[in-house]
Amino acid sequence: MKKSTLITVTAIVIIVLALFFWVKNSYNGLVKADEQVKAAWSQVENVYQRRADLIPNLVATVKGYAEHESETLESVVEARSKATQVSVDPENLDPDRIAEYQAAQGELSQALGRLIMLQENYPDLKANQNFRDLQAQLEGTENRIATERMKFNETARSYNTMVRSFPKNIFASMFGFEAKGYFEASEGAQTAPKVEF
Amino acid sequence: MLKTVKKHILTATLLVLPAISCLAIPSRPSPQRLVNDFAGIFTPQQAGLLERELVAFDDSTSNQITVVTVNDLEGYSASEYATRIGLDWKVGSAEFDNGLVLLIKPKTPDSNGQVAISVGYGLEGAIPDAYAKRIIENELIPHFKQDDYFGGAAAACEVLMKLASGEISEPRSRDDDDAGGVLAFFIFLIFVIIVAVVAARYDKWNNNGRRGGGGNYRDGSDVMDAIIIGSLLGSGRGGRSSWGGSSGGFGGFGGGFGGFGGGSFGGGGASGSW
Repeated sequence: MKKSTLITVTAIVIIVLALFFWVKNSYNGLVKADEQVKAAWSQVENVYQRRADLIPNLVATVKGYAEHESETLESVVEARSKATQVSVDPENLDPDRIAEYQAAQGELSQALGRLIMLQENYPDLKANQNFRDLQAQLEGTENRIATERMKFNETARSYNTMVRSFPKNIFASMFGFEAKGYFEASEGAQTAPKVEF
Repeated sequence: MLKTVKKHILTATLLVLPAISCLAIPSRPSPQRLVNDFAGIFTPQQAGLLERELVAFDDSTSNQITVVTVNDLEGYSASEYATRIGLDWKVGSAEFDNGLVLLIKPKTPDSNGQVAISVGYGLEGAIPDAYAKRIIENELIPHFKQDDYFGGAAAACEVLMKLASGEISEPRSRDDDDAGGVLAFFIFLIFVIIVAVVAARYDKWNNNGRRGGGGNYRDGSDVMDAIIIGSLLGSGRGGRSSWGGSSGGFGGFGGGFGGFGGGSFGGGGASGSW
């Protein structure tokens, strides 16, 4: 074997190896980022579920003091069942699905806001310790929702940056990694029930 | 081609910008303290007293309570602001996520006073939202209404410390940790020296015996050498990096606060205004 052939073969082997590791690292990086986004999404769903779990108790307590407000009470129950029906497949976190999810949860937020406002007309309800505790839990949960949404957006942002920027975008489109949707910031801020004492 | 690259740079910039604009929260204080009175509502003596108490609590239970006062919430809600401080500063230990942020925005003639308690993931069981709310209503706001900011903060911290220590109570052994790390490093060094000496002798002995012995045997022992030395170096490197980590986490100034640990927050807690 000639010396030049040996050098050529070695060079080819090195290039192929380098290419292999480059693709492998890029691909594994994308997989890791994708998993992180999914994990952040499951945290978002957890805290929304936490809020949904609070509602039956809250509605029952309010009912005890304000049974005439059946319209408000029913709208909460209805919005809750609608919101729990909308779920997003973590494999497919595209912007439309997230917007739909956010809209359903936003309606529930508004209905809850009206429910909490009822206390202004019912002083006994306002003074009830159980109601106050539930309200504190609801506020805490709204803040948890805001926090997990923020974390999800940050994770999705760094994933999207990876998917869209050169040269990883080549692998991303090759292996079918798609950009993820975000939560829109303004809506949550508008609909979160504000409670003043 | 250039156009696409430009587009990508633009996209990346646009994507990164919101992350930068989130940085309205005061950055981690340096040197790190547990009482951060940016609004100037405590006297130096009061701040010192509170700091000592909270540092002692951190030392004895590893729970980190930080008291932060600001004049402006930068458009955030009080609980959001408090949670962001907890996340940004990484209050609490990474192991237990046991940080607490007590945020106070004092009342001014043209704005309400606001207060929030943000509870790290690990303390959500010990301090549920309803408890945090009661602390705000029963300890903080009554004092704050009379402009007694220190009295309120001290009373709240006392209750928070009781609740938190019921859940997590792991004394910090910052000196032992460091000594352990240094010891591990020296043991590693001694190992390396011993291995080097033994390897050198082995090599010499092997070289002497080579004339008589077969080549195969020698090759096998060389591989064994490499494996043994390699594994020793590998494990030694692991020990060193953990040593570096612990000194990074605790290496503060003698007697004072050792620094925030890496805790995370989920947004639990409560807020109130007066």
